Amino acid sequence: MNLLQRVFIRSGVVLALVSPAPMLVGQGVSSETLRHPPVDSWPLYHGDYSGKRHSALTQITPQNVKNLTLSWAFQTDQSNPIKAAPILVDGILYFTVPDNIWAIEARSGRLIWHYTAPPNKAFHIGQRGVAMYKGSLYYLSSDAHLLSLDARNGKVNWDVEVADSTKGQWATMSPLIVGNHVLVSASGDFDNLQGFVRSVDPENGKTQWEWKATPPLGTPKSTTGGNAWMTGTYDPDLNLVYWGTGNPTPVLNGTVRPGDNLYTCSIVALNPETGKLVWAFQPSPHDTHDWDAVEIPVLVDGDFHGQPRKMLMQASRNGYFFVLDRTNGKSLLTSTFGPVNWTLGVDKDGRPIPNPAKEPAPDGRLIAPDEGGLTNYRSPSFDPKTGLFIVSAAPSYSLYFSKPADGTYGWAGADYSLWSTGVLTAIDYQTGKIRWKHELGDGRSGAGVLTTASGLTFTGDTFGNFLALDTRDGKTLWHSNSGSHIQSGAITYELDGHQVVLMSSGSVLFAWQLPKSDEHKSVARATK
Amino acid sequence: MHLFWKISLPLAACMTIVALAYAQSPRAATPPPSRPTVGSQGALPVHEVYAPDLIASGGSLFQQNCAFCHGRDAGGGESGPDLTRSKLVSTDTKGENIGPIVRNGRIEKGMPRFNLGEPELKSLVAFIHSQQDKAMSQTGTRKGVDVSDLQTGNLEEGKKYFNGAGTCSKCHSPTGDLAGIATKYQGLRLEQQMLYPRDAKSKVSVTPASGKTLSGVLAFQDEFTIALVDQDGVYHSWNVSDVKFKVDAPVKAHVELFDKYTDADIHNLMAYVQTLR
Repeated sequence: MNLLQRVFIRSGVVLALVSPAPMLVGQGVSSETLRHPPVDSWPLYHGDYSGKRHSALTQITPQNVKNLTLSWAFQTDQSNPIKAAPILVDGILYFTVPDNIWAIEARSGRLIWHYTAPPNKAFHIGQRGVAMYKGSLYYLSSDAHLLSLDARNGKVNWDVEVADSTKGQWATMSPLIVGNHVLVSASGDFDNLQGFVRSVDPENGKTQWEWKATPPLGTPKSTTGGNAWMTGTYDPDLNLVYWGTGNPTPVLNGTVRPGDNLYTCSIVALNPETGKLVWAFQPSPHDTHDWDAVEIPVLVDGDFHGQPRKMLMQASRNGYFFVLDRTNGKSLLTSTFGPVNWTLGVDKDGRPIPNPAKEPAPDGRLIAPDEGGLTNYRSPSFDPKTGLFIVSAAPSYSLYFSKPADGTYGWAGADYSLWSTGVLTAIDYQTGKIRWKHELGDGRSGAGVLTTASGLTFTGDTFGNFLALDTRDGKTLWHSNSGSHIQSGAITYELDGHQVVLMSSGSVLFAWQLPKSDEHKSVARATK
Repeated sequence: MHLFWKISLPLAACMTIVALAYAQSPRAATPPPSRPTVGSQGALPVHEVYAPDLIASGGSLFQQNCAFCHGRDAGGGESGPDLTRSKLVSTDTKGENIGPIVRNGRIEKGMPRFNLGEPELKSLVAFIHSQQDKAMSQTGTRKGVDVSDLQTGNLEEGKKYFNGAGTCSKCHSPTGDLAGIATKYQGLRLEQQMLYPRDAKSKVSVTPASGKTLSGVLAFQDEFTIALVDQDGVYHSWNVSDVKFKVDAPVKAHVELFDKYTDADIHNLMAYVQTLR
């Protein structure tokens, strides 16, 4: 049986073999799938729209996690490590590294198809995965093209340029599908460029709207930058998308861009139909340390100091943890989650006040955290039962330099990390207090965080160990040395009644599950 | 094998080769005093002359794989050092320093491994060399951190801090372990070394449930495994749960100091440490 036949038979759409209709691959991904992802799927970057990275699955428990066994591994044989969150739709996993997309069969890890992008000269620093809508995949190439591909075979439906890579932009993100919109953006802080979020028509690649993060190039005394290079989150009830924007440019030299530099280093709420800004909150006013505020804006509904709230939480690269009311962007809580030395305090609106004495200088300034930040783009997780926001942090110190000879374009300075260490940090969102820490080793862990309703936290340390921890206290319950540096977050789903935890490290995907005998003893399966 | 050894062994071998190469290089033996040196340390580079198309294809590889961290011009980017001021680059003649680092990575510093073939590596080396030569042939003030940028401190205050509030003299002596430190390192490299000596070794004593205590240089430690290299260079490892152990990591004192320094303390200390030639 050929691969296509296998796909169609599993999807129960054998008729599609004689029909050219492109939309008949399984159910594909509908708007309903994205709003309420079935347990046997992980249909978008975050697993769902909220960005909580919390699964309702409970087959793997703190008691039996020690028995996890490898179901299969898939080797990309590429030197670029896997930074993608794979998506799972209709029993097929789709994931990427720069210039490559794979469709593999989730039961066995066997290859279905492999797409290779044309060679291009843009930065190949990472690719965070594809999005899916109906029967098409959406992929951003390193040189910032958005491609629509037929999920059945990886054939390109269309290819549009999202940003001009010859001017210095590049792309890494997994697009966000909201209704009939493919939301995309790009990176590019090596040049003074305008950041944006763009909505593209999933059918034909046409631009529907574009929101610009910063004023047009050449505006006097104004900033550039604000590249919104990570996948946002979405609240279907408020019909708002939440997006983090990147740092201003020139990066380390703030003298030519006085003021707050809106909307760089900001969390913005946009209307997905029009791209209109509804509100904005700025974690780093007038940033001079490259601290993008693109870390996942995690959406949580729950109690805050005795009142039900629709909240947005972000552990930001600049070292601050923010809880906002996501209906209006007002601050509920601002705290730090590790060493921070660059502020004079927090203003009445919950924004850190940058200390001018800690801007980069010709003779150097000692800054905490370092440029990589107290955390970076890897996903944190919110566990509703314990009320913990769990983030892979990197307490760190660095030297920041900038002098006139460094100019006013692009980087415009230099910075050197002196030391950093990885610490998984569990923050009580109601107080900002740290309830527990789990040391991950010197350096910086590249692993994201996943929690499950059974009370497990999955992550990885700086040595390449996959870890399963008890969410209540951070104690290690299971580990396995992956043999390389972990650069992604775990995902979990149910397949044929078995809960799978899918992790990657280096160029290899690992699928873990319990031995069959253990599953029978486990509690009844929950539904998402 | 621990990562440190993986990286340092081939490097040590390379350094020997480079040293021999320099012995025969008249340019390296008598550097003209008026020209700046790379990173203000070490000899002026002696790089091969490369064909422009080789440099161009190396440049292409560099943009894709290296430029994000090291900058498009190799002069420093996000998190990666300025290669045009790198001693490792200036003492590299045909990739013997650069090659092993590219292929093995510097995982502990966040640099991944790159699987490059010999021709690709050669072109990459050609590009990096040419960028260094280009940066060095600039006149006037260069971008990046110069030794002259780091001279804003007060020597007397620095000495006072070293012996007093900084607690440096608890572990270090200007005539003992730090004698000649400012000859070995200068400028930014010296300041980095002063604030956190990355390559400092820790010691460990391990006592298994049955058997005698073994001591040596800490080779690896995570929450599951501990390993040391004994005085004969032999690697030993244990499950953490099976042994008692005591790590002596004097470098941790540098971490404790990070939130105590003012910027002036650092600049003053730098003024003092620079006198320890």
